[in-house]
Amino acid sequence: MHGEYKMPGGKLVVVDLDVRDGRLAHVRLSGDFFLEPDEALRAIDRALEGQPADTGEHALAEAVRRGLPADTLMYGISPEAVAVAVHRALRPETA
Amino acid sequence: MRTHWRDHGWQLIHDAPQPPLLHMALDEALTDEVAAGRRPPTLRVWEWASPAVVIGRFQSLRNEVDGEAARRHGIEVVRRISGGGAMFIEPGNTITYSIYAPASLVEGLSFQESYALMDAWVIAALGELGIRAWYQPLNDIASDAGKIGGAAQTRRGGAVLHHVTMAYDIDAAKMLEVLRIGREKLSDKGTRSAAKRVDPLRSQTGLPREAVIARMVDTFRRRHGLADDALRPGELARAQALAQHKFGTAPWLADVP
Repeated sequence: MHGEYKMPGGKLVVVDLDVRDGRLAHVRLSGDFFLEPDEALRAIDRALEGQPADTGEHALAEAVRRGLPADTLMYGISPEAVAVAVHRALRPETA
Repeated sequence: MRTHWRDHGWQLIHDAPQPPLLHMALDEALTDEVAAGRRPPTLRVWEWASPAVVIGRFQSLRNEVDGEAARRHGIEVVRRISGGGAMFIEPGNTITYSIYAPASLVEGLSFQESYALMDAWVIAALGELGIRAWYQPLNDIASDAGKIGGAAQTRRGGAVLHHVTMAYDIDAAKMLEVLRIGREKLSDKGTRSAAKRVDPLRSQTGLPREAVIARMVDTFRRRHGLADDALRPGELARAQALAQHKFGTAPWLADVP
């Protein structure tokens, strides 16, 4: 499943994922945002992996925030934007 | 402590055309040289030996590029070390440069302030060429007639890399065949097609590409000081090794598949 979200004034945030036994699996974040350090990308994927597919946006954003390396810098992307992209992947009809 | 442009002895590198993978590698190698204090802050103007699509550090290869169309047109796909979006390059069609600066130049600045600082000289140069241009957050260089180019920044160790690609001329039809540009991307741009988003420097200046570059370099030299330099053999060797063992490998290109 594939979801995209561009926050107003931000960059494109893309999430590809599957759902296995009601949980997010094979989560892969991508996009034209700026993120430092490099490892933060995989840290976000890991933070989302295994989350129940019915998790609300707020809780998903919190999970992303908690999973970030301490010195992470984000430009054009936010934990909230990632959560929106996840929801759009899960519910394409509402996008 | 924060430093200013004139606190540094800026060097210019403007080499003969080089292949896309070597450009990717030079950005990493020279940023690291400046971070280590082995090279003074440097402006490098790129010349492209062959066509390329350059995708951003975090872009999905599959989502961004039509691999079949790229092969058909003989366009190499490479991934750079900075974030941001895909660029479509044909030799002679873009003006690309990198600034390798000590992190002290942007110390304490927000991302937005740091892009504005690094773009200011080129905005001034475009002004001297008769183009009213401005830095448009997050990372665009825009004009009344449309987008001119885009910047990407990354901080590595004690240095910051700021590189910019501006459209000089563009084969928009070919670009749209090779790049997959989705509707969501364009959702807050208020434009109907990606081709209309870019207005190249050729139509805006009426000048040959070399003349535009010469004027830009003059502006940088006048504002910040600039001495002519060249790649050192060790720098080139390190970049060639990176091109072969990192940037030219499938794990790097498909790191975000």
